[in-house]
Amino acid sequence: MTELTLHNYELDDQCYKVRLLLAALGVPYVKVDLDVHPGNEQRSARYLKLNPRGTLPIITEGAFVLHGAEAILAYLARRYDGTRAWLPDDPAAFGLAMQWLAFAGGDLQAASLARAHALLEVAADEQEAIRAARRAFRIMDDHMTKREFDDARWFVGATPTIADIALFPAIALSRDFGIDHDEYPALRRWMAQVRTMPGFITMPGIPSFH
Amino acid sequence: MSFGAGWYPVALSNGLAPGRSSGTRLFDQELCLWRDTEGNAQAWEDRCPHRGMRLSFGFVRGSRIACLYHGWQYDSQGQCRHIPAHPDLDVPATIRVASYACAERLGMVWVHSNRETRTGTDIPIAPREVVPVRSLYVDCAPAMVMQRLAAQSQNAGSNGEPLLSLDAEGENVIAGVQPYGKAKTALHIVLADHPLARRDAQRAVAVWAEELRRRLEEEAPTAAIEAAP
Repeated sequence: MTELTLHNYELDDQCYKVRLLLAALGVPYVKVDLDVHPGNEQRSARYLKLNPRGTLPIITEGAFVLHGAEAILAYLARRYDGTRAWLPDDPAAFGLAMQWLAFAGGDLQAASLARAHALLEVAADEQEAIRAARRAFRIMDDHMTKREFDDARWFVGATPTIADIALFPAIALSRDFGIDHDEYPALRRWMAQVRTMPGFITMPGIPSFH
Repeated sequence: MSFGAGWYPVALSNGLAPGRSSGTRLFDQELCLWRDTEGNAQAWEDRCPHRGMRLSFGFVRGSRIACLYHGWQYDSQGQCRHIPAHPDLDVPATIRVASYACAERLGMVWVHSNRETRTGTDIPIAPREVVPVRSLYVDCAPAMVMQRLAAQSQNAGSNGEPLLSLDAEGENVIAGVQPYGKAKTALHIVLADHPLARRDAQRAVAVWAEELRRRLEEEAPTAAIEAAP
């Protein structure tokens, strides 16, 4: 397939990041759905050739293969966003966007693990994953609390970036593993903002209403 | 001070925008806070009478809040007014959500902890303009937080309300104490004065609050942190 193709699992929060950006950018693509649970198709011989990590999402475009949600977000922003709003050129804004992308792919992965443990029988130290997820949510809430003093509504800059997209699913889906939004008031307001983005789409566990 | 029946702050007023809902707890009881599009704050038991879903997950439309599960709509009195699956039904008066007395003072939303008390509970706090900073959620028992902070503050509640006057980086702040649950306390923090450099003061106090939270939790038993939901 030469057209942009997303190898996808509908319940995967990492795949949702990519679907969300593609929807926001209005980029057409082919979606290939895998049997992740219980089939583990992402770890089949065929898929390990595309991504030795055995994870989703993966995108392919002709011979080009890319895996990992944050790298894919950055690629799609550079390739398809002519406005350069989603991944800014300005060095400071670019650096801050990368900081939060790394956070989404690092600290915040505890939330993905806690959710996968709760929903998809993935092995994990549940208490430790939830503790680390709460710590990450608190860092995000503290950041947005201070942003609000300057009337800023997004993690970086004056408009949504791929940082917002990379950070959104973990907290929006946190009720799947028993963490309510009660103690993250700034994140609640930010999540309401994210839902107003043009092209916003939902996934199971993230209702459109709010 | 003890945490008896009375008025408690449960949110900052500016954080509860018109048409929004949020969940919180008071003494481990789940509350649904919401503000209708006319600006009135409401505090209800956080449970739809239909299937027990948390109403705070729902969505506000005009002067009603609708449950996320099946869209049952409740008016500002807690009375169910519309059931989408039975649009022509004259909804029985018995389908009703229990509500709490609710008021706004010092930039905070206040709730009376006794759900049954609806009359004679006018809030004894004088209205006063303040500058909101943030709500701070601390994984510590409410009594422990009160005890630690009381040592460095004056009680700002003239009638025993859970209010503390604190010095934060030279700013005069008021903290409303919410006994969220056994192992969690919320502090609703506002600037008592109106500093000229308002944003700088808010930012400085927000950073001070993060440090305060870190210090309080360091003193708390680890078990309480792990047990917090």
